[in-house]
Amino acid sequence: MVHAVIPLKRLLCGQAAFVNRISGPPDHVHRLEELGLRGGVRIEMFRPGSPCIIRMAGNKVCIRSDGLLEVLVQPAETLASP
Amino acid sequence: MPHVPAARATMTVALIGNPNTGKSSLFGALVGVRQRVGNYPGVTVERRSGLMEYAGRKIEVVDLPGLYSLAPRSRDEMVAVDVLLGRQDGVPPVELVVCVLDAANLGRNLYLASQVLELGLPTVVAINMMDLAESRGIQIDCDRLAERLGVPVVATQAVHHVGIAELKAAMHRVAGREGRAYSSPLPPVFHQEIDRLAGWFLKSGNGSPGRAVARPLLERLVLDASGYLERSIFAAEGSPLAEELAALRLRLEQSGCAVPGVETRSRYAWIEQIVSGAVHEPDNYLPTWTDRLDRVLTHRVWGTAIFAALMIGLFQAVFSGAVPFMDLIEAGCARLGAQIEAQMAEGALRSLLVSGLVGGVGGVLVFLPQILILFFFIGILEDCGYMARAAYLMDRFMSRVGLSGKSFIPMLAAFACAIPGIMAARVIENDRDRLTTILVAPLMTCSARLPVFALLIAAFIPDEPVLGFFDLRGLTLFGLYALGILTAVVVALLLKRTLLRGETPPFVIELPSYKWPSVGTVLHRVLERGWLFVRCAGTIILAVSILVWAALYYPHDAASVDRQPHLSRLKAALDRMDPAGEDYAALAAELERERLGEFQRQSWLGRAGRAVEPVFKPLGWDWRISCAVIASFPAREIVVATLGVVFDLGEDADAESEAGAKQFRDRLRQATWNGSARRLFSIPTALSIMVFFTLCAQCAATLAVIRRETNSLRWPAFTFAYMTALAYLGGLVTYQLGTWIAVRIG
Repeated sequence: MVHAVIPLKRLLCGQAAFVNRISGPPDHVHRLEELGLRGGVRIEMFRPGSPCIIRMAGNKVCIRSDGLLEVLVQPAETLASP
Repeated sequence: MPHVPAARATMTVALIGNPNTGKSSLFGALVGVRQRVGNYPGVTVERRSGLMEYAGRKIEVVDLPGLYSLAPRSRDEMVAVDVLLGRQDGVPPVELVVCVLDAANLGRNLYLASQVLELGLPTVVAINMMDLAESRGIQIDCDRLAERLGVPVVATQAVHHVGIAELKAAMHRVAGREGRAYSSPLPPVFHQEIDRLAGWFLKSGNGSPGRAVARPLLERLVLDASGYLERSIFAAEGSPLAEELAALRLRLEQSGCAVPGVETRSRYAWIEQIVSGAVHEPDNYLPTWTDRLDRVLTHRVWGTAIFAALMIGLFQAVFSGAVPFMDLIEAGCARLGAQIEAQMAEGALRSLLVSGLVGGVGGVLVFLPQILILFFFIGILEDCGYMARAAYLMDRFMSRVGLSGKSFIPMLAAFACAIPGIMAARVIENDRDRLTTILVAPLMTCSARLPVFALLIAAFIPDEPVLGFFDLRGLTLFGLYALGILTAVVVALLLKRTLLRGETPPFVIELPSYKWPSVGTVLHRVLERGWLFVRCAGTIILAVSILVWAALYYPHDAASVDRQPHLSRLKAALDRMDPAGEDYAALAAELERERLGEFQRQSWLGRAGRAVEPVFKPLGWDWRISCAVIASFPAREIVVATLGVVFDLGEDADAESEAGAKQFRDRLRQATWNGSARRLFSIPTALSIMVFFTLCAQCAATLAVIRRETNSLRWPAFTFAYMTALAYLGGLVTYQLGTWIAVRIG
């Protein structure tokens, strides 16, 4: 089953997803990409909310994006261990 | 490729890496205690360097700020680019780069490494924290990586000094050689456009004379979507360059290489090739003890409760733990002052030494224990990885004010002293957020305000319970702290919506794995901060103490003072008394105090107090309070001593001892308006003074640090103006409203 693309903030605690795309001002998008958050990367929601904490390649990153920046993700098939 | 300078007596090595890669530990392992901290000329970016020797050669290691990328969006990043390109004043051309990578996050760390390698300087890669990576099941083949990168790759565990000898040997091997020819991961069409831009700069008539610009700088200029470089070092080129860049970026977009996305795409594609087969990561990461701790420490309820408990513990340590040390310093200064007084004849020089020099130095040193304890705790919390969690927890609140969680640490530090708070704001990348934090940090109630609060609360606020378990005096102190915080919130909101309005960058921070704090690193940082405070605040507070002393001492016209009728009467009464009588000594002391008070009243500062009395009268203050407040503008901590002087308690008024404090309070309670029986002090008067002190920018050292940190006179002037206006308004409203209520309730 193919999951719909949803905003990062709708990801549930422990849910894994792949980054689909990041939209917003080019410089802000570039900044997130430099930090490793870019299309195709697998992430897992550790602490939902604003700001949220996501796990990315074994590390945790805290992110708060304002209305201008949107991280869209595609949830993975299974829920990762909480 | 940059020119590799001929071997100098001292080789310069730049240490670069992402934040949280253990770069500081590696720097410490390389240079030991021989570290120096200062600023890069003209910018407020910390310059940390140290000396080491290897195979008879002196090496200066420059520890660059922790960065994720060389894309210059902030001063830190610009300085790193300038140091690596040999353009930074105060740093000799770099002969070797040591790129520190986090073994547990190699993919992302190689992004910065690819930018560094492109500079063509001799480079050594240090893969640090190998133990942590191995514990997570990550395997790294360093030999294969070295082969692919074309530079030596050394595995290190800097905290345990593992791999340091190998790293030094690799540095020695590579130093002085040409950097390897590195093929850029960016596509050919991008490089063609860079060639074209280099040609544009060489031509004159583009708004400035023709000149050659370093290729890495041109690449960064094209990729810099934020416009930082265009606005900073290429500002002289103006609109012709903006038009050229717009056309160039459009051509790149039409070729499918839109900037800045082309850079991340190309570099990550290159990284995938580099790590393929050389780095093996597990398919699933097992929960670590950092994860288990984070489940509690970042929890909305438990995490916030633990954070609040930690902050209460920190405040307790700063304000209670420092007391014995502060008492020791005060006693030491008082003793030194007494010794000088005993050994020197009365006169201007003795007064300068005792009141100006010893008093000034003591006034600075007395805050040192609080600052050292504060930085010890902050150092531990930072080094163990907790501070990033604190920033996460506080971001929810700070973002409502228009700031981010990163502004929290500077604000916290400002409760001890605004100066370390303002200096701690350097960690905030966004210029507007940093400036807002700097401008509101002085509103946090620093410990220099406490002596005047303690004196006035004890003297005028009744010791009564409120609602059964609160104490009115405690509530008053809490209210003053809350007033400072609330005002800072309102001012920050206003600044972010008016003067410092702008796009808010996304708030992103990495949460590093928890580790045991390194005692050496923490102590080194504490001593460094302490010294910075003493040097910075010490010189300024000392200078203003001497100025205030001079304003209170001169013109020192003894004849004019002795002509005063009340002094003549006292002198006559004393002359009539028997020197052996029991009241003689008390009257002699009173005469001396009154005489000293008269000298102060006739001093330049006393005259200024009288001149401004009409200005402060609506706040319920007479000329004596006005005089003490004026004297405390350069350094608020001297207000208690000045009040002691102008209310005739003498220079040695000891507000600390119980008897001295009682005498001080009684004298203030008995004070009346000139020529009347009306009491000078009332609860509204005391509250108006305390509100004024809560909101006023009475610290020349803080203003000087704002000047240094913002590189402008405009911002300290603005801080002084807005805080003084707020303080006056706050004092006025408090007094008028307080008096109105007092009249209504009888």
